[in-house]
Amino acid sequence: MRKRIGFFICHCGINIAGTVDVSKVSEELSKYPGVIHSEDYIYMCSDPGQSRMIEAIKEKKLDKVVIACCSPTLHETTFRNAAKVAGINSFQCEIANVREQCSWVHKDMKKATTKAIKISKAAIERARLNESLEPISVPVTRRALVIGGGISGIQSALDLANSGYEVILVERSPSIGGHMIQLSETFPTLDCSQCIMTPKMVEVSKHPKIKLLTYSEIQEVAGYIGNFKVKILKKPTYVNPDKCTLCDECTKVCPVAVPNEFELGLTRRRAIYIPFPQAIPATYTLDINNCPGLFPIACGKCADVCEPGAIDFDMKPEILEEEVGSIIVSTGYDLYGKEEMAEYGYGKYEDVLDGLQFERLLSASGPTMGKILRPSDHKEPKEVVFIQCVGSRDPELHCAYCSKICCMYTAKHAMLYKHHVYDGQPYVFYIDIRSGGKDYEEFVQRAIEEDGVIYLRGKVSKIFQEGDKIKVWGVDTLSGKDIEIDADMVVLAMAMRPSEGASELAKKLKIALDKDGFLAEAHPKLRPVESLTSGMFLAGAAQAPKDIPEAVAQASGAAVKAVNILSQDRLYHSPTIATVNLTLCTGCGMCVDVCAYEAIKLEEGKAVVNEVLCEGCGTCSATCLRAAIKVKNVTPLQVHEMIKVALGG
Amino acid sequence: MEEKFEPKIIAFLCKWCSSAGSDLAGVSRMKYPPNVVPITVMCSGSISTNYILSAFKDGADGVLVSGCHPGDCHYIKGNYYARRRITLVKELLEFIGIEPERFQMSWVSAAEGAKYTEIIKDFVKELEPLGPQNKLRSNL
Amino acid sequence: MVKPDDIKKECKSILEEGKVKYIVGYKRNNNSYMSIPAFIEKIEETDQLIWDPTCVYNLVRFIRDEKLRKERHKNPDTRPIGVIVKGCDSRAINVLLQEKFIKREDVYIIGVACEKSGVIEKKKLRKKFNEKNIKQIEFGKDNNFIIATEKGKTTISAEEILAERCIECNNNTPVIYDVLLGEKVERSLSEHFRSLEKFESISTEEKWNFWKKELDKCIRCYACRSVCPMCYCDECVADSISLAVKPDTTAEEKAQKIRWVEKSPVSSENFSYHLIRALHLAGRCIDCGECERVCPVDIPLRYLNKKMEKEASEQFGYTAGLDPEKPALVSDFKDDDPQDFII
Repeated sequence: MRKRIGFFICHCGINIAGTVDVSKVSEELSKYPGVIHSEDYIYMCSDPGQSRMIEAIKEKKLDKVVIACCSPTLHETTFRNAAKVAGINSFQCEIANVREQCSWVHKDMKKATTKAIKISKAAIERARLNESLEPISVPVTRRALVIGGGISGIQSALDLANSGYEVILVERSPSIGGHMIQLSETFPTLDCSQCIMTPKMVEVSKHPKIKLLTYSEIQEVAGYIGNFKVKILKKPTYVNPDKCTLCDECTKVCPVAVPNEFELGLTRRRAIYIPFPQAIPATYTLDINNCPGLFPIACGKCADVCEPGAIDFDMKPEILEEEVGSIIVSTGYDLYGKEEMAEYGYGKYEDVLDGLQFERLLSASGPTMGKILRPSDHKEPKEVVFIQCVGSRDPELHCAYCSKICCMYTAKHAMLYKHHVYDGQPYVFYIDIRSGGKDYEEFVQRAIEEDGVIYLRGKVSKIFQEGDKIKVWGVDTLSGKDIEIDADMVVLAMAMRPSEGASELAKKLKIALDKDGFLAEAHPKLRPVESLTSGMFLAGAAQAPKDIPEAVAQASGAAVKAVNILSQDRLYHSPTIATVNLTLCTGCGMCVDVCAYEAIKLEEGKAVVNEVLCEGCGTCSATCLRAAIKVKNVTPLQVHEMIKVALGG
Repeated sequence: MEEKFEPKIIAFLCKWCSSAGSDLAGVSRMKYPPNVVPITVMCSGSISTNYILSAFKDGADGVLVSGCHPGDCHYIKGNYYARRRITLVKELLEFIGIEPERFQMSWVSAAEGAKYTEIIKDFVKELEPLGPQNKLRSNL
Repeated sequence: MVKPDDIKKECKSILEEGKVKYIVGYKRNNNSYMSIPAFIEKIEETDQLIWDPTCVYNLVRFIRDEKLRKERHKNPDTRPIGVIVKGCDSRAINVLLQEKFIKREDVYIIGVACEKSGVIEKKKLRKKFNEKNIKQIEFGKDNNFIIATEKGKTTISAEEILAERCIECNNNTPVIYDVLLGEKVERSLSEHFRSLEKFESISTEEKWNFWKKELDKCIRCYACRSVCPMCYCDECVADSISLAVKPDTTAEEKAQKIRWVEKSPVSSENFSYHLIRALHLAGRCIDCGECERVCPVDIPLRYLNKKMEKEASEQFGYTAGLDPEKPALVSDFKDDDPQDFII
């Protein structure tokens, strides 16, 4: 069928008409094949301008229009909407950019006019082959999944649940709370961490909209934005939480003692245990890896003493299948490993601790009931050396990045130490102090001025044990003096790194990682809570090292992003996506490899495009050797025709 | 008087960076020669080698491919694939005796109107002494 | 060096065990000293199999024919076919596996190591001998070829008539096989791209003149495409006349067929065709030399593909057909791929 094309060129006052002979362009285009209406007008984007276009479409039964005007980023939507009003498909309207890419950058009217004609003809060639398209829409499963039950995951889950959406919160350990529940007091206000954390944990457990799955892991994720299908492995705890009365009789008879994870190995726990008294869910877990054995039952003492009969050795792993519309990943961080930091005596000397272990010593509910005592001999340390940037900012040997929170928590540690041990002397080795944040700088100053923390700028060169002292040698680069401290305890501000297993999870979710293994955000500035996979969002330290307020803020941001999706009945997506010519496709899968959105799959030896995931970039199309895949309305044929006219004349 | 040779250039620009960068050149009223006709595509990754060969066959004296800087691709990594593909085309064209100046690739961000302007100016200057590209041009 | 008897023995046992439907190998051509492809279905036919320096053909091409044949059958015999491959040819199988064109179980690979030798190049041979007099060419000891003529046998150093691609070859041992005949012999080459050296010192105009002269000869018979194991597309992008019209092909599809290359054998279209072909073979060509061998007008097509191979190797560290699990050359990238030419 012959196309009936209308052409309109805008003067844009003198912005276009000043350099481009618009009437000549209009006249030239009126002779162009398929063009049955051509005119120029002073302001096409004005109401009268748009009306002229609408009238022309109706009167002359145009089925396609091309507007030569400013950049499509400005008025493409305007004219496409007008085209729709006139009764033609919005994709039948194309823009020829003759202002930014022509009239504004040239001086010679004759040449600029010739170029404007070429640009206009190219746009007509493109329009001639445009398909009429409607936005793609898919229904939305209006529930969310939050992975990781630390402060970020808890915040996201609560925000989502309080917005009225069902949330599944998955945590792999037996209790939610994450690292925050291990902390003593938090900078810069010195709130008790447990005091502010436990109400949130309880809120999660009581919230009618939140389904909490602890001791559970993500097994498989399929689907796409609005429609994810998730398989969750719920590991058996062998304790029925409904029956358990928390009497603690079981732990008294359990013969096993293993390092207590919650206390970072400073104490030991039983094979059957509750991670900490305020654990949510408030119940015990039988750690099958350390139990003498259930198959057959080797010991069974815990079950024998359990009066309510809460212990159920027959409990089996369960696979739960859930459908959600959006996923928030808040898998948090771990500290840099002991094995990597042997040079500081970490893992070798008992009184060399990491920051989290020191938090436990400071904690009123910790292994020493809040007294600062050396793990080795339970004496009160009188000189404590805190070392910052352990593993951080060390591109040669360790992590290149700054772990961000260590400057602040070291100041807090030194300060709290001083509050506990009045006659003690804390020293801090630092590279420089990064205390950006509300009331942070004041906090550090307080540590130095009021609590007499001695800050030494420089790196530690050697740590070794001599008698019951830990010798710390270093240099104060400000005074140039060698420093030797006979310390009773050393606390290392270890680098933060992505939590163990985060990269495997990222693979399952098809979320990209950055060079350091943290989850990659879609844009470092403008899309910091979005992952590159649409419908999946990032919260907390899983994305980058951050402190509690930042983690909470990002978690709320991620929740709102998820609500953006969940609040819709249907999601709409641009229809200019890739389509496969099945006759030509040989199923080589090169398109699958290059697709940044995992939008292409091979099914029965042919490429199949997921129209919701496809963003229409066309990289597949240029990669395909068989020309079997193309993006609608930017097809190779269209470009082929555009090249011809752009070079014509 | 003999008419001065005006090289014809096709510039394949990605929509998000290079086309936006050329728009910025316009908004900033920078001036460059009108020898270049832009063809905007979604991503530099979508620029098929056929487009480039076709442009030369249709009589382009020079062809420019421009995309987002590495790491800035709107589509995450399309420009990296483009870089590989274009490297091969560039090497092959030089191998068969096409003047290397005739085929260029650039990274132009949405903020680099000035860079785009300079690229076009330089391109035209480099093409002028070469004269028309008749090697690959079709006479059909 | 592998003896023809080794191949016969191996093929016999494979057929006896019923492992394969048939075996594609090499046999003597009664009218020439050159071998020809052999399709061995019966055990007694294995006696026809030979292995000599004229086994130039890349038999991987026949896997495609078998695939098409199988697709046409309602109840095809799903056993694999046996294929005798040299080192280069084996890489072609890897590329086909990488592109999922075939499955590993479709083919039983009988790898033959070229050890320190290779196959002949007819062009070189013709310069030294009158082809008509040659009866047979065999592998001799110490990297020699023994050329039998009516007048008797002549021994010649293999290098004198060895194909250029064999001299430049890095894979004298097949990289994938079910059974390997011959020894894995190290052969380290520093001159992997030696045939391209002559282009490095010449000017742009000289390069152009060379290619103009060569490609203007092209008559667009598409023999290069027909023989290439990688050119398995039903419809070639570079050639609008090969549109695969099927019952369900719509008029619109026919109209949408882009004519990137016109069919006339004129300079511009010949260049387009060969450049598109070279680019489509980048990271896929394994230098079996078949395109050049079959070219009726002797265009040195290998150079175009070799150039792409060189860039893939030097700039991207990629060699075609080594690992079927890895992404292809152009469907992969590294953050630090070279980009000096980019402004």
